[in-house]
Amino acid sequence: MSRKNFQHLNDEALLDYYHSTRNLKAFRLLYTRHKDSLYRYCAQMNFAGTASALEELWNNLLEHPPQLRGRLLRSWLFIRVNKLLRNCAGQYPDTPQQVPDPGNKLLAGIQQLSRVERNILLLHMECQLPLATVADIEKISLKKCREHYRRGKERLEEILQGPQRQPWRIKGLGEVSA
Amino acid sequence: MSVWERQYRDAVAGIHSPGSLDEKILQQARRFKRPKGTNRWLSKAASSCAAVAVIVLLAHPAQYLGALTPDLRPAGGAQQSPQANWRHKRVPTEAADPWFDLRSQVRAGSFVELCSQWRRQQSGSTPDTLPRDLEDRARAHCRLLP
Repeated sequence: MSRKNFQHLNDEALLDYYHSTRNLKAFRLLYTRHKDSLYRYCAQMNFAGTASALEELWNNLLEHPPQLRGRLLRSWLFIRVNKLLRNCAGQYPDTPQQVPDPGNKLLAGIQQLSRVERNILLLHMECQLPLATVADIEKISLKKCREHYRRGKERLEEILQGPQRQPWRIKGLGEVSA
Repeated sequence: MSVWERQYRDAVAGIHSPGSLDEKILQQARRFKRPKGTNRWLSKAASSCAAVAVIVLLAHPAQYLGALTPDLRPAGGAQQSPQANWRHKRVPTEAADPWFDLRSQVRAGSFVELCSQWRRQQSGSTPDTLPRDLEDRARAHCRLLP
């Protein structure tokens, strides 16, 4: 394979290629494919521990090629960074006030969710992992995971747009007033 | 993509990994050097040696010595081409063999001439003697006359 045309390789092949040649350009390509997504996820999960977790993650990847065992590299990265963030959580207590972009209502709303709901929501929306993988990461059943996801979305909607309209109450009030 | 996801994508579009972090990680990546490419060079050398050997074997002049270099052989030496030998043996010419007529008569089954020649030789009246093979046949076929 020529040294220049690894652009079209998928992540797993690129990782193999990097570990056999240690080509810095290949690593840079791999890094740019995932860095933003990883950073957004980490920053919203634990803003204080982001830098250290990401550094450790990429260091691990550089030193030892990960044993993917048929998984996608993207899944491996998020499983790994999730574990690292959990380890960091003791060092840097999770502080929901610190968000990357405090002005945004949606992001602020996500910060108000519970840790599990936030994790599931972010892993599914930001990282585009399937819910089954998310359930494995959280070590719960797929059914529970789906339930958490649905409830998280509902709560987020409530935070952003207030409680849902309850037309029966209004109707009742109208009857009472009449 | 649902409305939610689109809203979320719009919200996070401006958040990128900070440059300092990128720089730090790429700095770490630079520590890992490219492994030495000895294997690749070794295999290249080995394959080119094999190619040269094959070409030499195919183009070696020794293969075509018999076919292509007739002028290099000693002319008229002991080693003559088998084809020339065959032609010489099978088609004896009249000029080369003084016993050609007699021999062809014998081969045809007529021994008269042979026997008369043989008798002349026995009586010592002719100077030239029969060659060995004709002599054998004469001894076998001709009657002994007193």
